[in-house]
Amino acid sequence: MKKQILRIVCLLFISPMLFSFCGIYVSKSDGTLKNKASQVILVRDGEQTVVTMYNDFKGNPKDFAMVVPVPVLLQRKDIRVVSPAIFQKLNAYSSPRLVEYYDENPCYGKWEDKESVNEKSIMVTSANSNPVAKKKNLGVTVEAQYLVGEYDILILSAKESSGLKTWLLENGYKIPSKAEEVLEPYIKSNLKFFVAKVNAKQAGKIQKGSFLSPLQISFSSPKFILPIRLGMANGDGDQDLIIYSFTRQGRIESVNYRNVEIPSGNNIPLFVKDNFDRFYGETFAHKWEQEGKNIALLEYAWDVTPVNPVKCDPCVGNPPVDQDIVQAGVWWLNNSNPQSNQHTFFTRLHVRYNRNSFPQDLQFQVTPNQTSFQARYVVTHPAEGDLTCDEGKVYLRELKGKRRKELRNLVSLTGSTVEDYLSNTEPDSDNDIAYQTLLPEVEQEKESERTIFPGLALMAVVLVTGAGLMRWKGLI
Amino acid sequence: MYQIHLFKDPRHFQILFQSSFLIYGVVFLHWSSPLWIYAAYFITGIVMHTICEAGFTTKQFPVFSSRWCTKWWMGMPSALISSYGLCLFLKTDMPEVAIAASAIAILSKYIIRINGKHLFNPSALGIVLAVLWSGKAWINPGQWGSGAFLLAGILTVGVIVVTKVQKLDVSLAFLGTYAILLFSRQALYLNWPIDFFTQTISTGAVLVFSFFMISDPKTTPNHPVARILWAMMVASIAFYMTSFRYIVGAPVFALVLSQMMVPLFDQLFRGTNFQWKHFTASTLKPAMS
Repeated sequence: MKKQILRIVCLLFISPMLFSFCGIYVSKSDGTLKNKASQVILVRDGEQTVVTMYNDFKGNPKDFAMVVPVPVLLQRKDIRVVSPAIFQKLNAYSSPRLVEYYDENPCYGKWEDKESVNEKSIMVTSANSNPVAKKKNLGVTVEAQYLVGEYDILILSAKESSGLKTWLLENGYKIPSKAEEVLEPYIKSNLKFFVAKVNAKQAGKIQKGSFLSPLQISFSSPKFILPIRLGMANGDGDQDLIIYSFTRQGRIESVNYRNVEIPSGNNIPLFVKDNFDRFYGETFAHKWEQEGKNIALLEYAWDVTPVNPVKCDPCVGNPPVDQDIVQAGVWWLNNSNPQSNQHTFFTRLHVRYNRNSFPQDLQFQVTPNQTSFQARYVVTHPAEGDLTCDEGKVYLRELKGKRRKELRNLVSLTGSTVEDYLSNTEPDSDNDIAYQTLLPEVEQEKESERTIFPGLALMAVVLVTGAGLMRWKGLI
Repeated sequence: MYQIHLFKDPRHFQILFQSSFLIYGVVFLHWSSPLWIYAAYFITGIVMHTICEAGFTTKQFPVFSSRWCTKWWMGMPSALISSYGLCLFLKTDMPEVAIAASAIAILSKYIIRINGKHLFNPSALGIVLAVLWSGKAWINPGQWGSGAFLLAGILTVGVIVVTKVQKLDVSLAFLGTYAILLFSRQALYLNWPIDFFTQTISTGAVLVFSFFMISDPKTTPNHPVARILWAMMVASIAFYMTSFRYIVGAPVFALVLSQMMVPLFDQLFRGTNFQWKHFTASTLKPAMS
C-alpha cells in the first residue's frame, strides 16, 4: 500500500527539477542485445516524412558507404546531417527500465523508500561499404549529387537490377550478393537509390573513433515504409532495429506485421538488478519467439508535446527537450506560430528481423492511439532490521510468497531457468541465498514455446462446443 | 443429392466462426484493445436493433406484440454479425467512437434503403465512417499476423462447402480476383519472392472480409452473374487502393464504394431479392433483417 502511495506522489511531483526525487540514476549499462542492430527516427504527418538514420560505423571513414531506397528524388534541401547525440538521448529516454523499491520495516513506524532506475541500452551497428568511383552506362542515372556534411551523396535511378548491382559493386558498395532479388522490385516500384559515402577531404578531418553524423532525409510520399529487405538479401541471421517515431496523432503501428507490447510492470527477483541487460535481452528474445518472430514489439509510447509535464514514469534519462525533437526532424515544433498544432507523440518499436520471418519491408501507419506505454520491471529490496514483532512475522511470510512469485515471473518472462540465471552470479548476499532456498519450491513452469498453434486448437474446440450447443438448442 | 443441413441459418454459422476468430485474436494474438470496446459494439448493436425495430415497425406489428418480438428475435443474428464485424476490424480508444460506429452501422440498415434492400454492409459502413469521419479510429490488418490463417481459411471454406451454408460465389470471385491481381503485380511484375505475396493474402483480415463481410447476401446484387462481376469490381478497386494508393484496410473501403453501385447492377441484371430462410419460411412479411 505504501508503495502505491509513493508512486502517486511521484506522479504528482514529477518535473525536470524533481527527477532525482523519484528516480536515482544508477548506471548506464553498456550491455548489448545480440546481433547487428540499427536505429532510425521516423517523423510522419500526413504524407510528409522525415527519416534519420543512425550511423555507428567505426572503421576507416573511407570505407563507409550506404544504400537506401527512397520513394522520391531528393533535393539538396531535403538532406542534412544531425548530431548523433539525439539518438543517444532518445535511446536513454525510452529504454526498458528497472525500478527499485524498498520495503519498509513494518516494525518501525517510519519508512524509507527509494526508487532507482537502471537503463538498458542497445548496441547499434550500421550500413557497410566503400567509396564511389567512375560510372559506366549500366542503365544507372546519377540524378543528383550533393555534398552534405561529411558525405558525398548520390541519388540514383536505375532501369534494371543487374545494371544497378554492377554499378554499385564497381563503385565499391558492398551490397549483398543476392541483392538483385530486392533491387528489381525496388526499381520497378519507381524507388530511387540514396547512396552515401564519406567525402575524401572530409574523411581526414574525422577523428579516429568518433561517429559519423546521422543522415536525415525528408520527402513527401503516401508510402510509409522502412526498406529492410536490402539488408537481409543474403539471409544472414537476425538483425535488430530500433524505430523511434514522432507523429502529431499518436502511436505508429506496423500494418503488415503484428504489433505486440513487450510484457511490462512485472515484479522480478532482486538479483536480476545486476543482470538487467541480460534479463531484458532474454525477455525480448523469449517474447519474440513465443509470438512467432514476425512481429514488431512496442517498447515505449508517450505524449512528448512540449506542454505535457509528465513524459515518463519514472524517467531513466532526461526527456528530450524541444530542441532535440526538432533536431529529430519534427518540423511542426519549429513553427514560430504558437497557435499551430504542436502535439507530438513518441513511439519506440523494436523489430528483430530475418529473411524467413520478414518477407516484406516494414509498412507503417499513424494511428490516433495515444495510450502511454513503457517497458518497466520492478525489483523490491526487503525490509531491514529487527522483524520480530507480529507484523514483522506476517511480513516475512508474505515476503516468501512474493519472492516465489518473482521467481516464477523471471522464468515465464525469460524462458530460462532460475538455476541458469543464478549460475553466473555467486550468491553474495542474504537475499540471493533466500531466493535460492525457495528454488525447490518454485515449480519450473515451462511455458509452451509458441501460443499460435495451441490457439488454433482452442479455436477448433470452441467451434465444436458451439456447434454442440446449437444442436442442443435445436438450431442445427 | 444428399445435403448436410448443419446450419439452418447461415447467420448462425457466421456467428460461430466470427466468435472463434474474436476469441483467438483476444486470447492468443493479444489484441491490445481494451475489452470494453467489444462490449460497446455488442450492447450498442443490440440496443440500436431494438430501437430501430420499434421505430421502423409496420402497423401490423405493434411494438412488443408477440409477432414483433419474433421479428425482433429473428433480426438479432444480423445485429450480432454487424457487431462482430466491428470487433474484428475497427480499433479505437474512445468509447463514443465505438458506440457511434455500432449505432450508425445498425441504423444504416433501416434508413439507407433502395429497392427494398439496405445499401451498405452495416459493419463496413460503420468502419469507414468511424475511420474517415472521427479520425479517432483505425484499422490494422497487421493485427492478424499471417500464415496461421491459411489453415483457418481452409477450415472456413471446407465447412461452407460441406454444409452449403452460404453461397460461395461472391467470396470466391472476390478472393480469386484479388489474389490474381496481387500475384500478378507482386510476384510476376515486381518480381518479389513468392512469400511476399503469401504474406499479403494469408492474413485474417482478407479471410474475414471475404467470407463474412462481402458475402452478405442482402447487400450484393441479386443476379448471379451480376454478383460475380460486382465482386470482381470490389477486388479490383481494393487492389488499386492497396497497391497504388497505399490505403490500409482497402477492401473495406472498396466494398462501401462498390455497394453504391449495387442498385445499378440490379437494374442491369434482373433477379430476386435475397431473403433469410427464416423469413421465407415464416408467415412474416419479409423485411428488415
